[in-house]
Amino acid sequence: MNSQGNNSKLNGRDLINVGIYSAIYFVIVMAFAMTGLIPIFLMLLSSMVAFFGGIPFMLFLTKVKKPGMIFIMSVIMGVLVFVTGMTYMPVIVSVITGIIAELVYRSGSYQSMSKAILTAGVFPLWAVGNYLPLFLQREQYFAQRESYGQEYADAVMRLTPNWMMIVLVLATFLCGILGGLLGRFLLKKHFKKAGIV
Amino acid sequence: MELQKSFLDPRTKLLLVFVEATLVLATAGGERLVVFRLAFTVLPFLLLLTAKCYSACIVGMLVLTVTEMLKYFVFQSSNGTLSFLLLMAITLITRFLPAYLMGVYVIRTTKVSEFKAAMERMHVPDELTIPMCVMFRFFPTVREEGTSIRAAMKMRGIGLGGGKASEMLEYRVVPMISCSAKIGEELSASALTRGLGKNRKRTNICKIGFGVADYIVMVVVMVMIIYWMAGYFGSVG
Repeated sequence: MNSQGNNSKLNGRDLINVGIYSAIYFVIVMAFAMTGLIPIFLMLLSSMVAFFGGIPFMLFLTKVKKPGMIFIMSVIMGVLVFVTGMTYMPVIVSVITGIIAELVYRSGSYQSMSKAILTAGVFPLWAVGNYLPLFLQREQYFAQRESYGQEYADAVMRLTPNWMMIVLVLATFLCGILGGLLGRFLLKKHFKKAGIV
Repeated sequence: MELQKSFLDPRTKLLLVFVEATLVLATAGGERLVVFRLAFTVLPFLLLLTAKCYSACIVGMLVLTVTEMLKYFVFQSSNGTLSFLLLMAITLITRFLPAYLMGVYVIRTTKVSEFKAAMERMHVPDELTIPMCVMFRFFPTVREEGTSIRAAMKMRGIGLGGGKASEMLEYRVVPMISCSAKIGEELSASALTRGLGKNRKRTNICKIGFGVADYIVMVVVMVMIIYWMAGYFGSVG
């Protein structure tokens, strides 16, 4: 298309695609995020996001052919969780993980399937940003949630020694990879047949 | 859904959403801002009234009243697991409801083009604005598709109760994604015919600007921030 000018610049269609897949992704993510009030699920949250988000994300990656799209989606996720009450930290995290995910997929020149699965592992790390206040501002975090009750605070406290952060990052990454594999399977089984890919 | 006119500028509404998210939902500022928090809990209800969203307003009021009553009458005399569950429900509702209703108000009263105009005035790049516009336009579609698919699959006995929970993913999530993606492609084509694909500045017929109400909201928010800062640095220094 001549009128689109520079080939690596994002055009209207790309931006609309980002919007559409962000919406689908966020609806699926939110459905699972609602379970986060139960202490044990709070810890599983980012992994669940990674796993189930993998399905729409892999489909999204088939539409990504230019730099910037993954990054924009990541930033939008960060802003959305900020609006739903998770402090400003996820925004910063989502910017960083967005750049990393972008670079990973770029290294496969936006085509490689194995790089796509790796990207599906890196991208959901934005969800780990939700936990940062829990580790970095522990006292403030519980002061804000005092009204949840001592039982909740104790349960969360027991589940979150500081090394837990590393476990969370790794678990999210692994679940992201698994979600990516599942996404690839479903891509082959369903979405290709339906003519979406 | 009929859009109602709002007397607030889209930018002010965005500010209000952020304030609700940090002040009421994340309870920033703690005890010191309790008066402001109360005010911002009531505000969404008033705004919904001005936008003629009576049902949302009344249902919200009822839910909030019942929750507050639970808090003062039942919670005091409960203990153990019951108290834990109650507390969770109460906290969830009192925090999320005002922010949620503010979201309802903003979505009911803001046209996508108004939102776009506001973002342009704030010099937010198109790369961020267009996806967000599409997203807000698209959320109801995704939800609608989800509801229809749930109904269809229920008829085939695929649901949480039907003993086929493992098939949920394949028969519910996958069709939801495919339908939404298809609709998205049509949406994209329609937007492109209206010139979204051109890399030049687009015009916008929406007139936005600040009025008296906007300045009042901004002054209140400013006062709150200054009051909070004063308390914060006062206690530190």
